[in-house]
Amino acid sequence: MAAAAVAEAASEPPQQHQFPLPAVLEYPASTPPYLITQGAEGRLYKSTYLQPDIPCALKYRPPKPWRHPILDQRLTKHRILSEAKVLAKCRRDGLRVPAMYAMDEAAGWMMLEWVHGAPVRVRVNERLGDRKEGIDKDEGLKELMRRIGLAVGKMHKIGIVHGDLTTSNMILSPSAESVTDGQLDGTPGSLEGEIVIIDLGLASYSTTDEDRAVDLYVLERAFTSTHPRAESIFDELLKGYKEAYKQSNLALKRLEDVRMRGRKRSMLG
Amino acid sequence: MAPKESWIAIGCEGSANKLGIGVILHTPTRTTILSNLRHTFVSPPGTGFLPKDTAAHHRSHFVSLAGRALAEANVSPADVDCVCFTQGPGMGAPLTSVAVAARALSLLWGKPLVGVNHCVGHIEMGREITGADNPVVLYVSGGNSQVIAYAEQRYRIFGETLDIAVGNCLDRFARTLRISNDPAPGYNIEQLAKKGTRLVELPYAVKGMDCSFSGILASADALAAQMFAGKADFTPEDLCFSLQETVYAMLVEITERAMAHVGSSQVLVVGGVGSNERLQQMMGEMARERGGSVFATDERFCIDNGIMIAHAGLRAFRCGYTTPIEESTCTQRFRTDEVFVEWRD
Amino acid sequence: MALETVTLDHLPASQTVHIAYFRNVRNAAFLHSQLLARNPEFEYGFVDASVIVSRLHLLSAVFRAATTASTNSLITPNVHSEIIVSLSPSNNISEAYRRYGISPSTKDLLVVKISGPDGLSHDDIAKHLSQHVEGDQLPVTDENIAPATDNSKVAKYYKLNGLSWLDAIKDQPKKRKEVETLVVGTLAVRGI
Repeated sequence: MAAAAVAEAASEPPQQHQFPLPAVLEYPASTPPYLITQGAEGRLYKSTYLQPDIPCALKYRPPKPWRHPILDQRLTKHRILSEAKVLAKCRRDGLRVPAMYAMDEAAGWMMLEWVHGAPVRVRVNERLGDRKEGIDKDEGLKELMRRIGLAVGKMHKIGIVHGDLTTSNMILSPSAESVTDGQLDGTPGSLEGEIVIIDLGLASYSTTDEDRAVDLYVLERAFTSTHPRAESIFDELLKGYKEAYKQSNLALKRLEDVRMRGRKRSMLG
Repeated sequence: MAPKESWIAIGCEGSANKLGIGVILHTPTRTTILSNLRHTFVSPPGTGFLPKDTAAHHRSHFVSLAGRALAEANVSPADVDCVCFTQGPGMGAPLTSVAVAARALSLLWGKPLVGVNHCVGHIEMGREITGADNPVVLYVSGGNSQVIAYAEQRYRIFGETLDIAVGNCLDRFARTLRISNDPAPGYNIEQLAKKGTRLVELPYAVKGMDCSFSGILASADALAAQMFAGKADFTPEDLCFSLQETVYAMLVEITERAMAHVGSSQVLVVGGVGSNERLQQMMGEMARERGGSVFATDERFCIDNGIMIAHAGLRAFRCGYTTPIEESTCTQRFRTDEVFVEWRD
Repeated sequence: MALETVTLDHLPASQTVHIAYFRNVRNAAFLHSQLLARNPEFEYGFVDASVIVSRLHLLSAVFRAATTASTNSLITPNVHSEIIVSLSPSNNISEAYRRYGISPSTKDLLVVKISGPDGLSHDDIAKHLSQHVEGDQLPVTDENIAPATDNSKVAKYYKLNGLSWLDAIKDQPKKRKEVETLVVGTLAVRGI
């Protein structure tokens, strides 16, 4: 009997830690939470807020058992609260980010507006295909880069730095007018839509040029390692950035320093 | 003439305080380590290793270590196909002293020279030893802290420290606590940490896939000063414990973020700090939860060694790569992503 | 006109939410006095509709109060008073009662009742309300709530004044939607 149980357990695939899920994930819902991704930040479910016609993103940060429990609690709580505060601030200042619906920081979850669309990473890669040449002459793509820059510039202008800018953390959300046949997420390869910055779990208030420069540097590196063939058009993004954020010259100057530090950092420490 | 069926390389490493020389044999199907020797320069407690002294150490031990490596491998200079050496990154003077010696061997034996990026050496050796095919790599040592993934012929850096390396942070804290540098400061911190129980709050500095350690070191140093002044209710063990818990949680976090970003469930930990058992344990739990696993090597390969230089160099050599002597100068800041990785798909 | 029973996602099945809407209420002073007297028969969430922008706004506060109750972390005597505080951007309880709860001068009233498994039935509640609330009952819809909303009070209480991008929106339904989003977001982050 015991041996059989052991054998059965052994044949199971590596399993996730079975923590009791927070109650909010187990109560009835018209669209029960459906796991979309297990990101580094936690799990992202798609569900509904209050009623069937309001889709929502339910973010749950499960305990990370490899971290010391005190540190884990501290980080989880801190990040949910800080993300909520930042989202509220962005919304108030007119920056397009997901709206906040509800949260329980002690239980580790928050409910946000479900933003239709596809990650910018996906749309850029669809557009690039296996092209190796002519990328720096792709006006549509360059225009998208400028729009990304506008969104990031606006965010920096209102005093928020993201902390984890990548092309996965931006959604290209088709405008209501362009949506036909219920294709809420847009069409593959299309660059139409509004840039919505998401995943502000590492974001914070900051108005220092150093923080802004580091934010841009993180984005630049993420961009050039995710889309190496499009490296040459990253400057277009900075053009949009300057347009949205008039006082950007100091942050951009600082970006030069941060780049130098990154590339030429002393190996002695 | 039948196609060549085996290759032998000697690798010379000296980018920091370890002088390592190893001899490797490749056949189309196998990799065999013929010898892997190391001699470490250990500085007194409370001090770090200075470039000048370290270079002198490497110079004085190179010839005897190289001789022993060949003897142990049972290989004569004529059997060697190429002489591989670390071209960077690392400390200038030690790098140069070993490069000079490698050039001398190359000229003496009439064998081509192959310059190797130290970090690529770690990665290739790690992949070879562990069988990890395409992992996200966490490279953590006294000089580097990087999260790396392979894409389109290069090892691309997704995240790294924005100031000092994690190993440097640990080494310097060991100096603050005036604990021994033998066998390694990080090892001694790890032993003390095992006896720590209390988590003292330290800054936690992660930005995306990057992180920073200098603020943590400053805080830990300040706490240690309080403790030495008798104004604290925590012990050196608690501080070591808290430091490890904090910095390793950060490293695991940025690694996890990179894994989520590139969609990989394998992690390979390389570099001296990679031999830390607590880091391996935390990383293992994280990787398991993502349905993957962690690959780590033991101290023979984790800690700087010559065999990894021989191995990565030989892979490049077999693709036709050599380093002409006039281009064999060292680069202290040789970036991992500067290397064109011809030998991978 | 019927009392509406709503099923809110992500709440325990044992909790049932009932909502009703009365315009031109004539006995607000009486209802207010029952609340002050803590008459258990009048344990309702009585919300002054002039500070509510939409059905979603109201239900968001109900959701927060019910969630708080299910984790045993109420900061007021019961889930119904918690609804009133859940409408407020701050943790100041008496101010919340004053601003969002019923007062003797309330004209338009939204009523919420949350009943547990052994609580009152829909019909019991409907009957009790129609007996005791003197007013014109209407369905709880955005269209019916809108005429009762005092936009300047909403802007003041939810600190929406001086948002130039918001003032610049000329399309009224669109503006209302943005206000609703801001208000719901404000409720979600109360107390942090």
